[in-house]
Amino acid sequence: MNAKLFTGLALALALGACVSMPQPNAALESARLAVQAAEADPNVNKYAALDLDVARKDLSNADSAALHHQDAAIAQSAYLAMENARLAQAHAAAKADDARVAAGQVERDQIMLAARTQEADKAKLAAVNSKQVADSALNQRDQANVETARVQAELDSLKATPTPRGMVLTLGDVLFDTGRAELKSGAGRKLDQLAQFLVEHPDRRVQIDGFTDSVGTDSYNEELSQRRANTVREALISRGIESSRIGTEGYGKSYPVANNNDSGGRQLNRRVEVVIGGNNGTPISPRTGS
Amino acid sequence: MLIDLSNLARGASLWTAVAVCVAGCASTPIPNEQIAVAKSSVQRAEQSGAPELAPLEMSTARQDLASAEKAAADREALPATQWAEKANVDAQLAEATAQERRAHKAATEFDASMTVLREETQRSSQPN
Repeated sequence: MNAKLFTGLALALALGACVSMPQPNAALESARLAVQAAEADPNVNKYAALDLDVARKDLSNADSAALHHQDAAIAQSAYLAMENARLAQAHAAAKADDARVAAGQVERDQIMLAARTQEADKAKLAAVNSKQVADSALNQRDQANVETARVQAELDSLKATPTPRGMVLTLGDVLFDTGRAELKSGAGRKLDQLAQFLVEHPDRRVQIDGFTDSVGTDSYNEELSQRRANTVREALISRGIESSRIGTEGYGKSYPVANNNDSGGRQLNRRVEVVIGGNNGTPISPRTGS
Repeated sequence: MLIDLSNLARGASLWTAVAVCVAGCASTPIPNEQIAVAKSSVQRAEQSGAPELAPLEMSTARQDLASAEKAAADREALPATQWAEKANVDAQLAEATAQERRAHKAATEFDASMTVLREETQRSSQPN
């Protein structure tokens, strides 16, 4: 019994001597750090788990060699553990980059598709715009309506009134002194407007009719009314209107627009009326009736 | 394919190591097969762009292989085995490092092109 115990103790001592605590080995500890670094790398766990297993196995071999003080074996396995840990990280980094590019290419395709869609939308919008332009060009009736409205507006600004013979613009006696045919200085502006209108509408003719009040003889009044009409004609010619477009007539005291019994009425009757013809250039018929 | 081959190479080196241990230290055979495996790993690394992209790792692997061949020629079986193991793993590391740097360069260039693309898209989507 005692002998047995003694033998066991001796055996334990012998084993203990053989398997004492290993001294720290620099190469082994570096390898352990390298393996730990690889273990901490999420890409390694994701992409290089097999490489990491090999490195761990090498490290375990190195630890086991250290337990048995096999220095050459420690160095060899530690070296392999270190290099396999680095290999794991290199493989993992390469695969992580590849994966990132692959994912990015999907995004790039989406961006480029979106850009192409946007280009297409722009082209579509441009097509819609040009169609609108074409539509408006084709819609000549609308354009004609606009033109008519514009002419009307211009005539309105001249204070012209519609009559069976055409639009009639009345230049009141304020243009002339009694018994005189010269234009007063204030007449220029209204004649400018009329001349401008005729320049813009070269297909229209004008008929200038002169009228007087009932003061004086008929022959005098007819001659005076003709001279007043001629004065307005000359004024338009001097503003660039062809004489062939302008007709004149003196009607004397005929066609009064107001009572000749008072001075206010007579003033209204001393006038020149300008009849503006249609846009087809037809001559304007002379005044008839009352 | 690449991984399969390197796993095969690693497996071969492990088996050889086991064989060496089983055979015992008394009569270790010269690891000709293991040296051949290491040599083919070095050649593959050389063809993978490692000499340019991972010159340090490549140089280490070549030196390991040279040491393994010298030890084998000197009939030093254990050092020959150890150098062959190192040459094999260092060649794989050289190849993987080259691969890593290539992938990194490609990813960096790709990031730059994406930045340009995003900027262009943002510009063109803004109203003129």
